[in-house]
Amino acid sequence: MNAKQLGKRLLQIVVVLIGISFFTFILTYLAPGDPVRIMYSASGTIPSEEVLDATREEMGLNDPVLVQYGRWLSGCLHGDFGTSYSNHKPVVQLLLARLWPTIKLALTSLVIMLAISVPFGMLAAVYKNSPIDYLVRGFTFLGVSMPNFWVGLLLLYYVALQWGLLPVVSTGSGFKKVILPAITLAFAMAAKYTRQVRTAVLEELNQDYVTGARARGIKESVILWKHVFPNALLPLITMLGLSLGSLLGGTAVVEVIFTYQGLGNLAVSAITSYDYPLIQGYVLWIALIYMVINLLVDLSYNLIDPRMREKR
Amino acid sequence: MQGFVTFIKKNKQFTVFAILAILVILVAVLAPVIAPQDPYASELKNALQAPSSEHWFGTDKLGRDIFSRVIYGARTSLTSALLLVVIIFVLGTLLGILAGYFGGWVDMVIMRISDMMVSFPGMVLAIAVAGILGASTKNAVIAIAAVSWTKYARLARSLVLKIRHKDYVYAAVVTGSKTGYILYKYMLPNVMTTLIVTAATDIGSMMLELAGLSFLGFGAQAPTAEWGLMLNEGRAYMQYAPWMMLYPGLAILIVVVVFNLLGDSLRDVLDVRDE
Amino acid sequence: MRKLKKLATIALTAVMAASLLTGCGGSSSSGSDDSTGSGSSSSSSSESSSTLKFGCLNYSESLDPANMINAAWANSRYGIGECLFKFNDDMTVEETLCDSYEVSDDHITWTLHIREGVKFSNGNDVTPSAVQACWEVLYANEEGSSTPTKYMDYESMEADDEAMTLTITLKEAQADLTMNLAYPVFVVLDVSVDDLDLDDNPIGTGPYAITSYSPNESVSLAANEYYWNGEVPYDNVEITFIDDSSTKAMALQSGDVNLVENVTTASDLEALESDDNYTVSIAQGVRCGFAYINQDGILADDTLRHAIMKALDDETMCEITVGGMYTEGYSVLPSGLDYGYDELTDVDAYDTDAAIALLDDAGYVDTDGDGIREINGENISLNYITYDSRCLTDFAAAIQTTLSDIGIGVTVNTLDADSEWNQMVAGEYDLCSSNWTTVGNGDPTEYLANWYSKSDANYCNYANDEFDAAYEVLLTGFDEDERTEAIKTMQQILIDDAAVVVHGYYNSSMIADSTVTGANIHTADYYWLTTEIAPAE
Repeated sequence: MNAKQLGKRLLQIVVVLIGISFFTFILTYLAPGDPVRIMYSASGTIPSEEVLDATREEMGLNDPVLVQYGRWLSGCLHGDFGTSYSNHKPVVQLLLARLWPTIKLALTSLVIMLAISVPFGMLAAVYKNSPIDYLVRGFTFLGVSMPNFWVGLLLLYYVALQWGLLPVVSTGSGFKKVILPAITLAFAMAAKYTRQVRTAVLEELNQDYVTGARARGIKESVILWKHVFPNALLPLITMLGLSLGSLLGGTAVVEVIFTYQGLGNLAVSAITSYDYPLIQGYVLWIALIYMVINLLVDLSYNLIDPRMREKR
Repeated sequence: MQGFVTFIKKNKQFTVFAILAILVILVAVLAPVIAPQDPYASELKNALQAPSSEHWFGTDKLGRDIFSRVIYGARTSLTSALLLVVIIFVLGTLLGILAGYFGGWVDMVIMRISDMMVSFPGMVLAIAVAGILGASTKNAVIAIAAVSWTKYARLARSLVLKIRHKDYVYAAVVTGSKTGYILYKYMLPNVMTTLIVTAATDIGSMMLELAGLSFLGFGAQAPTAEWGLMLNEGRAYMQYAPWMMLYPGLAILIVVVVFNLLGDSLRDVLDVRDE
Repeated sequence: MRKLKKLATIALTAVMAASLLTGCGGSSSSGSDDSTGSGSSSSSSSESSSTLKFGCLNYSESLDPANMINAAWANSRYGIGECLFKFNDDMTVEETLCDSYEVSDDHITWTLHIREGVKFSNGNDVTPSAVQACWEVLYANEEGSSTPTKYMDYESMEADDEAMTLTITLKEAQADLTMNLAYPVFVVLDVSVDDLDLDDNPIGTGPYAITSYSPNESVSLAANEYYWNGEVPYDNVEITFIDDSSTKAMALQSGDVNLVENVTTASDLEALESDDNYTVSIAQGVRCGFAYINQDGILADDTLRHAIMKALDDETMCEITVGGMYTEGYSVLPSGLDYGYDELTDVDAYDTDAAIALLDDAGYVDTDGDGIREINGENISLNYITYDSRCLTDFAAAIQTTLSDIGIGVTVNTLDADSEWNQMVAGEYDLCSSNWTTVGNGDPTEYLANWYSKSDANYCNYANDEFDAAYEVLLTGFDEDERTEAIKTMQQILIDDAAVVVHGYYNSSMIADSTVTGANIHTADYYWLTTEIAPAE
């Protein structure tokens, strides 16, 4: 990717972000319920109609929607995402406090996922059509078909409660508290990745250079680890990046089950309490993070694989 | 008839899964016949009964028959998942073909919107949409559709681009064929197989996403018999009435496995390469 | 052949997975032993510096008493702050930070003597002027659900630090101000500190002081080294907020926490009660679980309300749906209190047929065949808002299904506690779950204001002149018999008017594992972490 392409990508990100912000803003604008009312009632008061009107005027809610949007957007650009209705703290502060726990959760689950899928995928490929292969593939089918919240509940019940291995409540800090939610998230992903690894390794094994190496009498294990393995895993990097992105936004269910205090949990409670500024901020942040990660993945891909550089 | 038999012989695997899938659909259609009891009739006095000959899967906290609720749940889950897949399939394919065929600003607008949607990790927007529009099965379907159509649009677009500049297409244009005709006659068939396979494999994951939303309370609302919602209700009784959680979960698992396998074998039958 | 093999393995895996599941299920009976094992192991580590791990529901995102009433309660519950007085278990009042008081004959001027030598947890002295300053901040920021004026409407406050007295002149006479001052909204906090942050770091006189607070997550407390009233039993307390009742129970069983309040899933509570490793303390209810009926809406209809009352099977809901967590009843005041419950008549005893007849006779029938009756061509559809606490959602679900059986549509909306309250205040509901301490400040005056038409707390738009008249007796009369009689009248009026859906009376609970002693739940629900709760020997 050269500088021009990079510039184009950045521009694209900006365009998409503006689109997303507009979309979310309109969505909350159209949502039922009067924001002023919601805001007042969040602090437990019932103001009179005059007060409501005055506040509407003061907050600029009587302006045309595009003007409102512009104001909100320029606030965002200055780092001001507004104030949460429910606890009157800046949205940025609330999001920042939950960002790291969610990143920690996502990264842990990626590591767990790799620890499962790489060995199993390789095994299945090397022993293609053997019982091991069938077993691994059977597992992947179950993995992609189980609802992750169900897996979470089962883990909670057996691992945390019956066997007492890990804490039931994932509130608070401590590495132990991340493990169960991370395993739950890793579960379905591991199934998908195992299949990917298997396919990729099989494809590499069919390449001419492998046949050649075999013919030259190079040990099978050397072929596998020195040649096939690195080549097969390269495409996974792109996938990993994408997975990390979608993980960051996709942890809500699991966070709720394990009472893990991350972004997803915050979003769910923001939605149940109609905390629009918080919802808007959250969506925008996740989209931004997601796109930045994608960009980084593409960049790193260029660095790692020289072939890509030549192609472009 | 002869052809049919040969097809079955050639595609045993597909046939088996197709039959299973039809069975699942039959269960949903015939729910009133199969379910021994009214899934909504509660008998407060008979709450939390363990599975027995009278209540095969036990009863829930309001004394409703879980077996009947699981059977009826197939209706809710299947209709919404199938509807969802049809929506994203039609919408995505149409927009994708248009983008690919016309190119230019049409392509740009459609693809930027699709970029936008893709940048939302699905569940987030779905939660936001469902949360803001209000929680209901309908809104959950809309929410997930809003983020899921892009996959189809991209696929359709890339497939259309492959043949857009082929001679026979130009020939059709030159001979004065109507654009609609070209789209219908040349573009659509070209993308159909791949997209149908994608749609078939998507049924399972869409079902999971819908169940997830319901589990969080952003989908089906009580007292609907819906598996995700039932799991949510069963969560509080995990320790002492595990059947409340076990059976709806198994139901989801089985149905999703069936549709995933069906999708996979359909891929083999239609011989579409994994994209 | 290959495909057959594939099929076979898939089937095999499925069977294996299934047997894994059932295998685990089989071992679950022995599982409880394991969990207690880990529970006791955590106690051995707590010997050197004792830490209590407490799991409780979070009712408030802030700790500022002026912000919302739940925040004031939280101060008291977590042992952070204390009031000048406190309630005993028989709801009489005992002196705490105030050690003696005098009252003028007209009950207008109250002179409170502040106990000498009491310090805030930061070492500052508790003086009459400190108390005054604290309350002035409270009154200045009075908004939302925190309503100190309702409990004490003062003309003036005067602190004399020499004499250690705080003299309060009321606008109107009060029978007993001390009861109201025992209400947690009057928790005494140090407002003299520079970086005052009542939201996150209130400084009080209780046995424990905040070391860190993350809203919605946890509170860390350390023993208050300046505590005036005896030894503080734990060096540290870790409070983890757990909203879900069965998660709370599981956290206790797995040893994540040593103490929890109010496990409300009946099956969980039963199991804990029957297990020798846990002590369960249950206080017989002074709390009443009920649903407000908004009379500014479809439920203004008398027939409909009475039909609903008749349709509801309180006994089954209390005994089975919530597994005995509530004691059934039909009056807004608990049967256990001395307000003449036995002399009341339930005009709407459970009788489904009567309920149906009532609706049919009124012409509220289902004409379009959708299973829901109509009034003037519109389906009867009730908006029932609730929140997940003390089995209220279970009642809502049970009521929803019961009413749908007689052709009344109900949509249940489960919100968080705050949102539910706010929606109630805004009047956007037909039925609204609530659970009130009925004698929160010693008598039911405040609670009954819910139905007094001239009260700010009347969120259900109920108005009945007779009720108002009886209520005004409570406001002005000091005669005990007269008051009791008025209270009885009011209860009966509410029953006759079908003004409120009473579920029953809640039994509060506090459950501790074997590492903890003295974990009792108190009648007044404001005292959770008291100094009685100590490490077991």
